[in-house]
Amino acid sequence: MANTVIGSSIVIDGEISGEEAITILGTVKGKVAVAQGVVIEAGATVEADIEGQTVTVSGKVTGNVTAREKLELRPESKMVGNAKAPRIVVADGASFKGNVDMDV
Amino acid sequence: MADKETVIGVETRISGEIRGEEDLVIRGRVDGKIHLSHALTVEKGAIVQADVDVRNLVISGTLVGNMVASESVRLLSTARVVGDLAAPRVIMDAGAAYRGRVDMGDIEAARAAVASRAVAKPVSSSTSTVASTAKERSAPPRVAPTPKTAAFSAKVAPRFVAPAASASTPSSSRSAESASAAPPAFPRVAGTVGSAAPAWAKKKVRRR
Repeated sequence: MANTVIGSSIVIDGEISGEEAITILGTVKGKVAVAQGVVIEAGATVEADIEGQTVTVSGKVTGNVTAREKLELRPESKMVGNAKAPRIVVADGASFKGNVDMDV
Repeated sequence: MADKETVIGVETRISGEIRGEEDLVIRGRVDGKIHLSHALTVEKGAIVQADVDVRNLVISGTLVGNMVASESVRLLSTARVVGDLAAPRVIMDAGAAYRGRVDMGDIEAARAAVASRAVAKPVSSSTSTVASTAKERSAPPRVAPTPKTAAFSAKVAPRFVAPAASASTPSSSRSAESASAAPPAFPRVAGTVGSAAPAWAKKKVRRR
């Protein structure tokens, strides 16, 4: 289990930073920058720039996403913004609008 | 996964505003504002610098800011807290360190005051605290409560849970010690407080 969990009814307006994994089920506006994985669960809404080792999106993201390792857009996810990661996985059913930068 | 519990982990820091309709547990750092319709738990080791408006508040860590709880506030023995506090029920365990004003009456007025305040100006009570601290420091150590305190505790006694009466003396002496440095120096770890404290305060601690 991730060390930090933002529950489904929680709204955070501001900046989240840290050295551990984070799971978001609620709403976050602002900025998320962590050293470990970021998981955006189904039902979550994130209007923020996201930075993490791995970023897994099942919910809705508006903002630029930078993953140092891997970005994964799951089937039900919606993402608007630029994606930057060495490996990007877009599942069938995911919707995405933005630039992709894989450092090639 | 616990679906209805939000946890801010040890290594996580949030600056900004948190709102929600569920329980929140803070183990890391939060700066800003917290508004919940449920309970907030500030665990040991956590540092929170925020104005807080919740239903129940349980503190074992460090909190600097003004607090409003519509039900209760509990300061556990490891709590280090600075700021004004408004709640119908206030419980302080022996060992808890607290500096600020307590209001067990008008929650709505306190809530309005917190709401109208700008984000993260937690030590706004410092002027009044400094004044009261200066008074405390110049006076000799008192074991018995002042008449004013006695009247106050008599008034609230039925609602004050047991260890509070015995805890009030050590916590007030500790707050005097921690305040003998500049107020922003809080939080200080209990064991390291001695050197800066006035002589009478040290003596008092040793005697205990």
